[in-house]
Amino acid sequence: MKAVTATMNTKERSRTGRFWTTFIRNKYLYLMSLPFVLWVFVFSYYPLWGWLMAFQKFKPNGQSVFHQKWVGFDQFKTLFHDEVFYQVLRNTLAMSIMGLISGFVVAIMFALLLNEIRQMFFKRFVQTISYLPHFVSWAVATSIITRMLSSDNGVVNDILMGLGFIHEPIQFMGKGNLFWGIVTVSDLWKETGWSAIIYLAAIAGIGPELYEAAKVDGAGRIKQIWHITLPGIRSTIMILLILSIGHLINNGFEKQFLLGNNLVRDYSQVLDLYSLQYGLQMSRYSFGTAVNIFSSVVSLLLLFTANGLFKRITKESVI
Amino acid sequence: MAAKKKWPVVLMATTLFAGVLAGCGSNNKNDNASPTATSTAGSSPSSSESASPEAVKPITFSFYSEDPNPNWANMQDETGKVITEKTGVTIDAEFAVGDPVQKSALIASSGKYPDLIAAKNSINKFVDAGAVIDLTDLIDQYGPNIKKVYGDQLKRLYYSNDDHAIYVLPTVAGVDQHYFEAGGGFSLQHRVVKELGYPKMRTVEDFENAIKQYLALHPTDDKGNKNIGISLNADDWHMYISVTNPAFFATGGPDDGEYNIDVDTNKVTYHFLRPAEKDYFKWLNHMNAEGLLDKESFVQKYDQYKAKVASGRVLGLIDQLWDYADGEKALKAEGKMEYAYGHYPITLNESFKETSFWPTGFMAGNGIAISKTNPDPVAAIKFLDYLASDEGQVLLNWGIEGKHYTVENGKRVMIPEVNNRRVNDATNFAKETGIGFYNTMGPHYGDGVKDPTDNYYTLKFPEQLTTDYSDVEKEVLKGYGATIWKDLFPKEEEFKIKPWGAAWNIPIPSDSDITVLDEKLKNITWKMIPKAILAKPEQFDGIWDDYVAQLEKAGVHKAEELRGQLVADRVKLWND
Repeated sequence: MKAVTATMNTKERSRTGRFWTTFIRNKYLYLMSLPFVLWVFVFSYYPLWGWLMAFQKFKPNGQSVFHQKWVGFDQFKTLFHDEVFYQVLRNTLAMSIMGLISGFVVAIMFALLLNEIRQMFFKRFVQTISYLPHFVSWAVATSIITRMLSSDNGVVNDILMGLGFIHEPIQFMGKGNLFWGIVTVSDLWKETGWSAIIYLAAIAGIGPELYEAAKVDGAGRIKQIWHITLPGIRSTIMILLILSIGHLINNGFEKQFLLGNNLVRDYSQVLDLYSLQYGLQMSRYSFGTAVNIFSSVVSLLLLFTANGLFKRITKESVI
Repeated sequence: MAAKKKWPVVLMATTLFAGVLAGCGSNNKNDNASPTATSTAGSSPSSSESASPEAVKPITFSFYSEDPNPNWANMQDETGKVITEKTGVTIDAEFAVGDPVQKSALIASSGKYPDLIAAKNSINKFVDAGAVIDLTDLIDQYGPNIKKVYGDQLKRLYYSNDDHAIYVLPTVAGVDQHYFEAGGGFSLQHRVVKELGYPKMRTVEDFENAIKQYLALHPTDDKGNKNIGISLNADDWHMYISVTNPAFFATGGPDDGEYNIDVDTNKVTYHFLRPAEKDYFKWLNHMNAEGLLDKESFVQKYDQYKAKVASGRVLGLIDQLWDYADGEKALKAEGKMEYAYGHYPITLNESFKETSFWPTGFMAGNGIAISKTNPDPVAAIKFLDYLASDEGQVLLNWGIEGKHYTVENGKRVMIPEVNNRRVNDATNFAKETGIGFYNTMGPHYGDGVKDPTDNYYTLKFPEQLTTDYSDVEKEVLKGYGATIWKDLFPKEEEFKIKPWGAAWNIPIPSDSDITVLDEKLKNITWKMIPKAILAKPEQFDGIWDDYVAQLEKAGVHKAEELRGQLVADRVKLWND
């Protein structure tokens, strides 16, 4: 027994000892990481104490957070009893999921296709053009989109009418059932090229000898893509997928905010807009905080679930 | 070798580390120091301490306003330089971009207040936060001109029945304001009425017929683009101006915001529930069915709307001049004067009076406040007092004598070339001269009030107005037997005084249930009204019933009751 404890102790000691040896050996690396650890702490963890506000009825009356009225879970109760909240949640998830699936599939396909182009100049040209829209701000992009879809000399309507598909211009932006689709397609237009870059980089990292071996074995282009390129970038895809699933619920609001109008309100409101409108704009700071706590918690749950699932299925994970 | 390699790494780590620390450090400093101490504001008071008390002390005040001024020239304009010279004050302005209510909420909760705050209806957030100071004593000691301007309206400055403090100097509205300019009502391009021989313009049918007839004659413009009957501006809050407010203007209801208050019985009704307004929206529905309403009305963004107005293709508007002025300015700059708009007092039928000029009395409420962190409230109030003085008001409105205006035989007149630029090159003129920038910063008289020299304080008076009109405009007015647009509208005297002023500028306590109720009702209304207007005529009634049911479910009657309490409080505060 004693002996066991003794060995345990030495083991423990040697383990901490090992840590310190590596620490001293890598002290500069640790030193270099310190600012970033601090950065994360200051900007990501330190502000979390503000979450206390969600359990209060906060009024900006010059008193500190600790002198506000505590109300327990009242803010959350109001939130979960609000019908608007469920509608908004539906819209958020619907648009995020549509965006996630289409974004991944199209970007990966685009990267694969681009990779097969042998003519270097053309490849570079297409790639540059494709990621240019990424740098256009949503404010500009949405006004291009609304112009194009306009029923008053809009390009899309003109083309459809010219081809004889429709006789009356369609009011695309006024139809609630089209809104999710419009957001998804605009997102595709704007981000496909940009998202493809990372896959192209991953593809570039696959050793050429694999392709040569495949060719010797008689694999055609499609077979090469299927058996070498795709498995080669599988881990990249998985990691990006897991991370994006974590963002499903707080996926920004600019595009919905800028593309939306009163006619499509039931489909365009998203959670971030909701917390802005019903929280900050009405000085209901506590309520706004409660909404954001909700979305953070859901994000975390989604992230861990996705991570756990992928770990079990594909033996790959982020954490 | 190894030792040499290490140093850059250590150096870099320390630099980064110092950078992070510096970041934190400056944050802390800001927390402790006066929150408003922008570099200039912080330094100037101390440096000028030694100056003699008579001399004006140079000081910079940070200033926040909910009303954006895109032409703001950092007081380097001609008027601004004179103000700084006279008062020592330089204004470092920050304007709300995007949603002002949101910006105000952020500032109020941040605890870092600008020195001067012009937050309109959001001022309650600042008062609740204890961010603004009571000005009663300051006005008493340092504000003779302020007291003179407000006169017996001073009572309207009290904050509430429980709190008789004066937090805000009302600066958005002028004292004793007379309105000469009619910018509202329904608007029609001059070419329409001219060609049709100045038809009677009294009811929505008249308006509709004029548009219909003109469209039949001119379906397209010279480039072959379709002319548009009416376009509405429904982007975000413009919804109020162009879609929902006209519903009460055209049906005899005064502008009291989203609630109609019966002037005889004081009964509060969510104004959409008035039966006449249903008929108004039904008329819009009919216009849509006839193809006279722009199909894009509820989809277009504000810039697209303005661009459309600027294209000259829109025959009729239901909007306020200031809301579509940018588009019209573009037309005027191109010399297309007959494409500009005239204003007509259109109502649903002849039993209603157009209520644009229903008097409100002095509209206290929206104005400027001094924050508790202002380094020198006395200098601030003296600055505002200068703006309120006769000299100050003439400067803000007319500019500098000899440069912008002259006095001939005791009569103040704008120099013709200057005035020409003011009207036709408005943006550049404003940037250079600053005329019009400071009007709503200090207490001031309204249009139509004369100063001791028997000249008007502001530039809006009948004679001046007509010099701003184009020839086409004068011709059209002549066709209707009027000299200014206001002549066509029912006069102030025809309406009963509302003892609460206007209900839309009654501040709402920030923890009241009204805020949430109002937002819910607004969301329902903004969704259902466009839906009802765009529906097939036979579906209109069904949608309207659904709309009313939704309002009732959301608690519209509770909102009416709460609003009624606020109105009663306001009546007590202003009239006891």
